[in-house]
Formats: sequence, C-alpha cells, structure tokens
Amino acid sequence: MSKIFILDTEKCIGCSSCAIACMDQNDIEPYEGDIPFRVCFTVEQGSDKDSPFSYLTMACMHCEDAPCINSCPAGCLSKDMDTGFTVFDNNNCIGCHSCAMACPFAAPCFDKDGKMVKCDGCIDRVRAGLEPACVRVCPYDALQLVAKEDYEKEQKYKKAKILAYMAFDK
Amino acid sequence: MKKYAIIGFGCAGFHAAKSIRQVDPEGQITVFNDTGQPPFNPMLSTYYASDKLGLDGVFPFGTLEELQQQWSLDIHHNVRVDWVDAQSKTIKLEDGNKHSFDSILIATGARAIVPPSFREGGGDYYLMRTLEDAQRLRSRIEEGGIKRATVIGGSMVGIKVAELLHENNIETTIVDAASYLFPLAAYESIAKLIQQRLEEQGIKFVFGAQVSTITQEGVVLGNGNTLESDIVCLCIGTTANVELVANTKVVEDSPVKVNRGIVVDMHMQTTCPGIYAAGDCCEGINLQTGKTQIIGLWANAAAQGSCAGRNMAGKSTVYYGNILHNITHFMDMDFIGLGDPTLPGERHTFKKDDLIVEAVLEGNKINSINIFGNYKISGILKNHLTKLLMGGDSKLTIAQQGLLANQGLSWEFIKLIGGEI
Repeated sequence: MSKIFILDTEKCIGCSSCAIACMDQNDIEPYEGDIPFRVCFTVEQGSDKDSPFSYLTMACMHCEDAPCINSCPAGCLSKDMDTGFTVFDNNNCIGCHSCAMACPFAAPCFDKDGKMVKCDGCIDRVRAGLEPACVRVCPYDALQLVAKEDYEKEQKYKKAKILAYMAFDK
Repeated sequence: MKKYAIIGFGCAGFHAAKSIRQVDPEGQITVFNDTGQPPFNPMLSTYYASDKLGLDGVFPFGTLEELQQQWSLDIHHNVRVDWVDAQSKTIKLEDGNKHSFDSILIATGARAIVPPSFREGGGDYYLMRTLEDAQRLRSRIEEGGIKRATVIGGSMVGIKVAELLHENNIETTIVDAASYLFPLAAYESIAKLIQQRLEEQGIKFVFGAQVSTITQEGVVLGNGNTLESDIVCLCIGTTANVELVANTKVVEDSPVKVNRGIVVDMHMQTTCPGIYAAGDCCEGINLQTGKTQIIGLWANAAAQGSCAGRNMAGKSTVYYGNILHNITHFMDMDFIGLGDPTLPGERHTFKKDDLIVEAVLEGNKINSINIFGNYKISGILKNHLTKLLMGGDSKLTIAQQGLLANQGLSWEFIKLIGGEI
C-alpha cells in the first residue's frame, strides 16, 4: 500500500531529532563531507502573523509522478510499487546532477564518490514493519508515515466537515 | 487491434512504446530501429569514453530482449525506413518490406553536425554522440601517444570531452566561434568566470575563431593559423534527423512542417494528422517564447514520447512544453542555466563564498537564471520558473524559500525572485 510522509507544522517544535535520526540511520557524517538527506529549518513569518515562526523538516517528498526518475540519464531512480517510495540504485550514477535540477525540493544529495544518494523512506525498515527513523524519533508525532489511502480519506472527511460547518453557519 | 509504428528507438521512442502499452494492452507496437542497440543515451557517451560507465550502464532501460518482452514490442533492428505514406498508412523499409499502421511516431533523434568544409582538409576527427563515437575515442586514448588535443565547440558536450582529455594528461584547447562558453545558456560574466577556473586547471581557449578545416596537422583557423593537434574532437552541436519527412506522402493539404526540427503541437502531433513526432528530431513549445523550438534534453524527450504515445493510443494528453535548461557538472564545478539568457531585463546578482546566482528580471518577470557553484537549488529555481510560465502561483512556497535560505541565499534575493516573507 502506498505511503506518504506528512508533517503537522503545528506540532513540530524544530528539535531536529528527525534529521539526527536520519543521519544515524544512513551513516551520514556531515563533518566528513556527507550531505544530510533531511534538513530542518525555521521560517520567520513576521511578527504580525499568528505564529511568527514556523518549523519545517524536509527530505525527499516521494512525489507520485517524481520528475527525478525520467530526468536521470542512467536510469538510477524508480518507484517502489509497494510503498510508493522513490528509490535508487546508484551503481550507474554518473554524478551529472540532472536529478537535482528536476527536483523542486532539493532532495538529491551526492556522496564523496559523486554518486546520488537521498532519502529512500527507510524502505528496509518499512518493509520490516518498522517506522522510518525520522518518524520513530519525532517526540510529538509531528512527522508521520501514513497509508496514502487513509490520508486521502481523512482529508475528504475534513473537507466535508468544513463544508457542513459552513452550510450550517449560513 | 490497433497497429502502432514507432520509427527510432531512443528515449522518446521508448517512452512512447511504454505509454502506448500502458493505455492499450492489446495493440500491436512495431518499432523500427536503425541500430542494433537498445535505447542509448548520447549524454552517457563521454562517461563511457572515460571508462566511468560500463557497456551495461549506457542503456538505461535495459536490453532489446528485455524491452521486447516487458512491453510486448515487435522490434525490427538495423533497418531504415525509406518512406511513409500517411494516406494509405503504410511504411516501406529499405529492404523493400512494407508495414501498415494506424498511428505513427517519428522519433529519429539527431546527429552530430560535421560541416562539409571540415572534411575537406583530410584530417581525422572524433565525434561524441553515439556509442560508436565513444568507443572510438576511448580506444584512441587507450592507444596512447596523444600530447595535444583540440576540441571544436565550447558546448556542454565539448566541456565534458575536454575534461576527459585533461584527465588523461592531454594538453587541451577548446576553440569556438562564439566569444565565450555556453552562449546559449550562460551570461558572459558567468562564462568568463568558468573559463578562468578552467584555465587555472590548464585548459586553453581560443574564442571568436572560425574553423576552416581539419588537416592531419590539426585545426586550421579562418586567420590561417593552425592549432597543431594529435587529436581533434568535434562538438559543435547536433542537427535533427528530419530526412524521413521529405519521403513522406502526406494527407492532402497537410504537409509535415519542418523548421530546424519537425514542428509538433501540444499533443505531439505534426501538421499532418495521424503523424506524431517526439524527441530530438522535433520542435515542441518553448514556454518562454510560445514558439516551437528543439529543446534536446533527455527528460524532455521522455515527456514528449510519453505524451505522443498516450495520444496515439487514444488518451488525449497535453504536454505544454518546456524551457531551455541545462545543468553541467565538470571538473568539480556546477553550472546551471535556466531560461533564455538573451532575453532582456535587469541583471541581479547574489554572491556568497563559491555560490553565484544571477537572474535577469523584466519587471517582476524572471527571464533567465544562471547558477554557479550549487546544484542543490537548481531544481527549486527551475520548477519556479516553469511554474511562472505555466501561469501558476508566482510565489515560492515557504518550504522552497526555507530550502534556498538553507543553501545560503539571502532573504533579500529570495524575495526578489519570488519569495514573500
């Protein structure tokens, strides 16, 4: 069943635990030149806004129609049909950075050998019935991996609730 | 059962076949391929020539047998198509055989340009387009004894060939008629900076120079000087393979329009109903100008091929077009060009450490962007520019703004190109 990552920005406290867990899981050593797959940052929205700060955590969004796949000249990227994750086999990666130019979320990274690496949704953990490392450590359940079908159902329900509320309000 | 003919089996031909099969599980898909190879990516040729990629790596979609089986294709290889008759819906092969079709795709790709005058000098030269070109250069380098090389063409391919020669300790000179590198993608300021970095590493340049011919001694320039070379590589671009169109009998009053490439609409249909074209042989829409133009990029060929295939199989699909865009990674540098650098506007520059981003804005409209020294932000900016041209939200999302800031861009510059905080 296809899965998607969701982030509830109202719950995220910007602690970066997810990014640390990702580095641990994927043996990323930033001080040795590795580039972390997941980044966390604060967005200042202005003191006039309800919440002047917003925290975000970003990695590969595992787009349904992932533009990186067709942009790779060597065919290194593909979709895992079970999870919907965008996965890779970088054996033939030539380090041309074409995937980076296709990605609207700056997800592709390149390792010390110049080969593409990125978040694979912790697919081995997920296949074994575990949560991805980033999700596992989130202290407030802000970051979650959910079944796409369930998420879409919930979104429909929420929309219906809002419509019903609006109709009632009138 | 519908019959589909696909002429040419590169990226566009493959994606068309795949899309047809996804829509029409029963149709008969026949592919006519003038090589004996599965779809080859020309962009991989320099990587194969430099031994960074093995033979199995240059065919990204698999072997002919695998593709034949996976997508139920009837592949005729090592065969050329002589003519197409759109009225009787028949094609004739060079061996005299005829095949009928209901819908046809021309995906014949492009070939390296060799001006006739270059041949007249009698000198040898190496191209870099096909697998055979790559094999030939690789063998020549392995043979050894090359001290000096000249690369004609300061193109994206030219720079990769120069890199490969340089890695083999060959003294390399790039010669080009333009006055700076990548004139179709780069601003002069960025191009000069790249040139300076390459010169520091030992590459030489001769700009504004016409090449008269290639002799056994080397490259003869318009001013009569000869750049003595043990090897000459020719990387001055490609020309679309459109010859088949001249041999096409079209439906009455609907000739297939050809400019530099075969002109197609947003359904990838040519001006002759029932004939589609995709990939490097065709001109799709350039989103910036609204006019048709060859945008010879791998992902563009994939998108065009997919769109053509779906339409051929009866599933109406639109591909709105693309923008000029390039990323090239060479000698530990990244250069990214987005949009047409010749479009007018005011230039804005952001510099921090090794990162340079320049953008040309016409009022609030972004006409082009050059990035030097950071591949990470290229996708955000490319997608932003494309979205703007498609009439989408003109603002970068909060996440994209945060990612740009995370990569070192100032909030002032982010705001200038579409941020809003």
